[in-house]
Amino acid sequence: MSSTKIQVRGQPLPMVLTRNHRMINSVVCGVQNKRHHYVSNVLRTIDPPLGSVPTRTDDSQFLRGDGNGRFGRFGGKFVPETLISPLKYLEDEFNFVLSDHEFQEELTTALRDYVGRETPLYFAGRLTEHYKNISQTTGGGPEIYLKREDLSHCGSHKINNALAQAMIARRLGCSRVVAATGAGQHGVATAAACAKLSLECTVFMGSTDIEKQSSNVLSMKLLGAQVKSVEGTFKDASSEAIRNWVGNLETTYYLSGTVVGPHPSPLMVREFQSVIGKETRRQANQLWGGKPDVLVACIGSGSNALGLFHEFVGDEDVRLVGVEAAGLGLDSGKHSATLAVGDVGVYHGSMSYLLQDDQGQILEPHSVGVGLEYPGVGPEISFLKETGRAEFYTATDQEAIQACMLLSRLEGIIPALEASHALAFLDKLVPTLRDGTKVVVNCSGRGDKDLDILIQRGMPSSLR
Amino acid sequence: MATTGTASTFRPSISASSRLTTHLRSPSSKVPNFTPPPLSRSRSFSVSCTIAKDPTFLMAEAEEKTKAAGSDPTLWKRPDSFGRFGKFGGKYVPETLMHALSELETAFYSLATDDEFQRELAGILKDYVGRESPLYFAERLTEHYRRENGQGPLIYLKREDLNHTGAHKINNAVAQALLAKRLGKKRIIAETGAGQHGVATATVCARFGLECIIYMGAQDMERQALNVFRMRLLGAEVRGVHSGTATLKDATSEAIRDWVTNVETTHYILGSVAGPHPYPMMVRDFHAVIGKETRRQAMEKWGGKPDVLVACVGGGSNAMGLFHEFVDDAEVRMIGVEAAGFGLDSGKHAATLTKGDVGVLHGAMSYLLQDDDGQIIEPHSISAGLDYPGVGPEHSFLKDMGRAEYYSVTDEEALEAFKRVSRLEGIIPALETSHALAHLEKLCPTLPDGARVVLNFSGRGDKDVQTAIKYLEV
Repeated sequence: MSSTKIQVRGQPLPMVLTRNHRMINSVVCGVQNKRHHYVSNVLRTIDPPLGSVPTRTDDSQFLRGDGNGRFGRFGGKFVPETLISPLKYLEDEFNFVLSDHEFQEELTTALRDYVGRETPLYFAGRLTEHYKNISQTTGGGPEIYLKREDLSHCGSHKINNALAQAMIARRLGCSRVVAATGAGQHGVATAAACAKLSLECTVFMGSTDIEKQSSNVLSMKLLGAQVKSVEGTFKDASSEAIRNWVGNLETTYYLSGTVVGPHPSPLMVREFQSVIGKETRRQANQLWGGKPDVLVACIGSGSNALGLFHEFVGDEDVRLVGVEAAGLGLDSGKHSATLAVGDVGVYHGSMSYLLQDDQGQILEPHSVGVGLEYPGVGPEISFLKETGRAEFYTATDQEAIQACMLLSRLEGIIPALEASHALAFLDKLVPTLRDGTKVVVNCSGRGDKDLDILIQRGMPSSLR
Repeated sequence: MATTGTASTFRPSISASSRLTTHLRSPSSKVPNFTPPPLSRSRSFSVSCTIAKDPTFLMAEAEEKTKAAGSDPTLWKRPDSFGRFGKFGGKYVPETLMHALSELETAFYSLATDDEFQRELAGILKDYVGRESPLYFAERLTEHYRRENGQGPLIYLKREDLNHTGAHKINNAVAQALLAKRLGKKRIIAETGAGQHGVATATVCARFGLECIIYMGAQDMERQALNVFRMRLLGAEVRGVHSGTATLKDATSEAIRDWVTNVETTHYILGSVAGPHPYPMMVRDFHAVIGKETRRQAMEKWGGKPDVLVACVGGGSNAMGLFHEFVDDAEVRMIGVEAAGFGLDSGKHAATLTKGDVGVLHGAMSYLLQDDDGQIIEPHSISAGLDYPGVGPEHSFLKDMGRAEYYSVTDEEALEAFKRVSRLEGIIPALETSHALAHLEKLCPTLPDGARVVLNFSGRGDKDVQTAIKYLEV
């Protein structure tokens, strides 16, 4: 196993742009394994040379990315020529629906009546009490609130995006939707949205993931979707799905589940997930007449995190904390901590941090939270890291499982193992916070799909 | 006349019958929230014994009273002060439980004026359970039932599947746990069949920090290993019951036995509108939020009331939760759908109201599936939640009064509906709910154009995916 470049966290990369440009080329062109890169050797960037992209951006860039889908130096559209116009077409449609009253009304109704929004902002009293007790302070301790995306239809935040994009697919006249899924949550959400909107649906899923999340596979089939197995994990399923899309551009819509991929994907998915943050602002105001102090979310590619964070990026007094998967430990080589130990490169169409070796080969990620198993991360997340706007930490498999058990026992909510990573970080975070600090954790999904994994891990029989 | 079935631990108690003779006045109807009708009675719990009349004579008396009330639902006592719905219901329990039941009833009635309790419960239902649940217009399902001339009913689904834990069960569990805390009880017991009620109970016990013991038939434990694990993960103790057929009815009996032994410290969270008074009334009132929301949502959406309400019936809690609000609205049709299993003639079904006889089971008089010797017949349904040989006494009453209609649907029809709704609306229904959905096939062709049907989508089907796949060859 080749070693990875260790990057010191929190330090911005040196802005020697010309050299980086060459580094990018070496990363992409050096990739021999076409399974990871549909790009092959034809590389096209339509962006201005990197030297002219400022690193410090103004507010509008913070909030929207620039016109070419760049967040600082991250993002972009690293795709073959054939995809440039479909992507532009998609972008135009996206911009149109953003301000189309009819679309917005239909989406709002569906989010309310079909998905079950708005999701509650729930004060986790017993969890708060638990941290107060172990810290042995005399004060009240921080207050922990959970944004209950686990209560959404299909059991995670994924549906917010799947539904909106399926509506766009229908508008574009596509009869068919393809998607790739890791844990299966995006697959199920896409299958559900497609069933509702009478669209044909094909979901690509890694063979290892199919084994680990079999109940989700069955659900997808029941919802009428075709599930195609791809040797490997999510990254391989992603590549295959994109290949399938490229081969059927006339009829097919590629429904991305997260904030990676070529522009406009990261922007679109973030926009559709940002309802999470918007509701949180309103609910926080209702509950305590203010804003949250700290937002915590797990990071696989970053969709649920950006969904919560985006609304508050402009509020400098709100801390943004992302938690990645440290798997079996950062030194073990078996993790998915892209921001912690990754390097910048181009993957699946955009520039971002990714787990790669010295030769630019993609490293196989690992996490017990299958939805976090991705060797890359959304470009906007990379941007938030580089500008120091958000902080990123990690939690191991074991810590996540412990956190899952704790929340189940204390609040009667079984969180998904992905969300459990965010919850696990509270152990380290809470002791550093002042009394009365309002912490909002994105409970991005429910854990029903993970029961088999938890059983396998041989949880102790006496759990009280 | 009515045959009395012999349930395992109970027999009609003399004191219960004597109270029938001293029955005074009727509760007035209709209150907001889940609160019961305000009972302005002087002494409800007299322990003194009066000379008992012959029980069968009392039955006839009660029936006459019911007939006298006539077809005006607003005049019905649901229930009367002894927990009777007409001749159904009551408190067929050992002496040791009478005090606990009285205490429970008093506490329940006092909640009517307890603003703090109401506020706390409303807050939990909103932030923890995720209410209110949407009333969702099922466009593709409506299209499916549209006739060739373009006419057809409009189908709305009350989305109880979106609640925390995925079914309506939590509404009652949460309220009863709060009630138990109020009574100072620290120990909770419950029975469960498939595990849904057990999971809901374990969930609320975790949330409120209460000790939790769940009784489950050993056979059910094997079939529902995942739910057993879930309950343990939530911190509950799951006790296997090996007596009888090792299924729900045996678990219920065991739970009741535990309660009799530990009544001072323990509250029994019954999962459905069955059991001795005050449970059928309490559980119904805690679920009545479903119907209340539906009324408001229907008014918002189309400025009127639903025309038809449809719900599956096992014990009957989700159905009563939807129906209760509308019982007095005579123009609202109410339809309950039971499980016909392998078919009504196969002997393997759970269609209590269609094929059962009146008797006493688990503390209440109601219809139940019994043989000529009054022994309980083992029910069957592919959906564990409908697999109960009895039914809530209020359903028996509504059936006899003709206020609600009851039909049944086979396993096969339910599975077809399960698949159909998943494909058409992208919502996987619980197999229990699938029975109600299956009945739409027979119902919709008979409905006038534009009739608004509200179906209680009582639970999601994630738990049933493994079972369904086996049968559906997807």
